[in-house]
Amino acid sequence: MAQPETKSNLLTATNEDTLGPYYPISLCDNDSMDLTVIRSGIIHKPVGEKITITGCVKDINGQLANGCLLEFWQANANGIYRTPDNETHELLDPWFNGYARHRTKDGNFTLTTIKPGACGERAPNITLTLFSDGIMRVVTQLFFEDEPSNETDALLLSIPEELRERLMIKKTGSGDYNIEIIMAGDNETPFFDDLLS
Amino acid sequence: MSNMGRQIEIGPTDNTSNERTPRSRLHLIPEAARASFAPYAPYNYGIAPSESDMTRIAAGRPRAQGDPIKVTGKLMDQFGRPIRNSLIEMWNANKHGRYTHIEDHSGLPLDPNFLGIGRTLSDDEGNYEFWTIRPGEYLARPDIGRYRPKHIHMSIRGGSSRMITQMYFAGDPHNDTDPMRILMGDNFDKNIGQEFATPDEGFDCGYKFDIVIGGKNPTFFETT
Ligand SMILES: [Fe+3]
Repeated sequence: MAQPETKSNLLTATNEDTLGPYYPISLCDNDSMDLTVIRSGIIHKPVGEKITITGCVKDINGQLANGCLLEFWQANANGIYRTPDNETHELLDPWFNGYARHRTKDGNFTLTTIKPGACGERAPNITLTLFSDGIMRVVTQLFFEDEPSNETDALLLSIPEELRERLMIKKTGSGDYNIEIIMAGDNETPFFDDLLS
Repeated sequence: MSNMGRQIEIGPTDNTSNERTPRSRLHLIPEAARASFAPYAPYNYGIAPSESDMTRIAAGRPRAQGDPIKVTGKLMDQFGRPIRNSLIEMWNANKHGRYTHIEDHSGLPLDPNFLGIGRTLSDDEGNYEFWTIRPGEYLARPDIGRYRPKHIHMSIRGGSSRMITQMYFAGDPHNDTDPMRILMGDNFDKNIGQEFATPDEGFDCGYKFDIVIGGKNPTFFETT
């Protein structure tokens, strides 16, 4: 797919840049980190198992990475993503958007959500996009340990076996899960790149 | 198996780049997983027109200190097609180089009339416009005396596009030593606002900054 730059008439893309340390917290208008409530004060709730994922982002020294902007994206309990193509899908959950945006001051985060369903052949997962001072965007997908469909997931199978467990959200109690994101160094979280790059 | 993507480079002299840059090459996303990586942010922006005028805290309030400037341009894809109705967020330091962010501990002067945060939507032709104050440079690394050149941060989102970038100013003496500028190489030109004279009263000048979404990093997948 990649073509030599010299033969392309495509406009050159603007360079991505780092987030910097001063991303305005007030721009996070969806900063609730609770995907189970898209309208407050309404009795309806999304379908599925409500779960809480606590986690943290760490740097190469094992220190918490402060000031990161996190974006989460996932399917609903039926495995349906809320994309324009799915707006009329019968399994779309009107009480679930699946998108969260959060700036963590100290590197810790808590996401309250619905456990995503399997989307087609894919194992249940949550896409995490991470912006931070010092680096440009990186992205990965997080999975749930003990899901049988992990064995056949295309993304998990595309990376070496020993790296797969680093993408596993660990169950710590009833409805409680935990994940550590390690940006660099030992036990570094695998991050992904567009196939077309 | 050639399923490895880019090696992200470390920005020299950046405060946190060495600590945070992944050391492994990125893993290429297999085709079967591609679509799942493209988020759709729900459209629930309630944006007041005054939010694109960063020269005042609110309409009718006094102007902030410094040179008022326009920042305007077109948001488009690599084919030159406009990207419409995308949320563009902008933030920059005041004329002294100080952010209103609670974690900016530089001690530089604050301006009670400058918030430094704005947002707008691109219009039907992909055009956007902000008014702000030309930001000051600031000492990012007091330990080695390195400044960040004047710059304006921007975030673009809408549909599957998602990008964070910065606009720089031509001729800033600190451009050459900036770690991100060094990583961009010759392509840094794309991130310089092109100065133009504006006939509007009360503006020092304008800067045209077209934003092209595409290439390796800025957008994961265009779905057009
Ligand atoms: Fe900055």
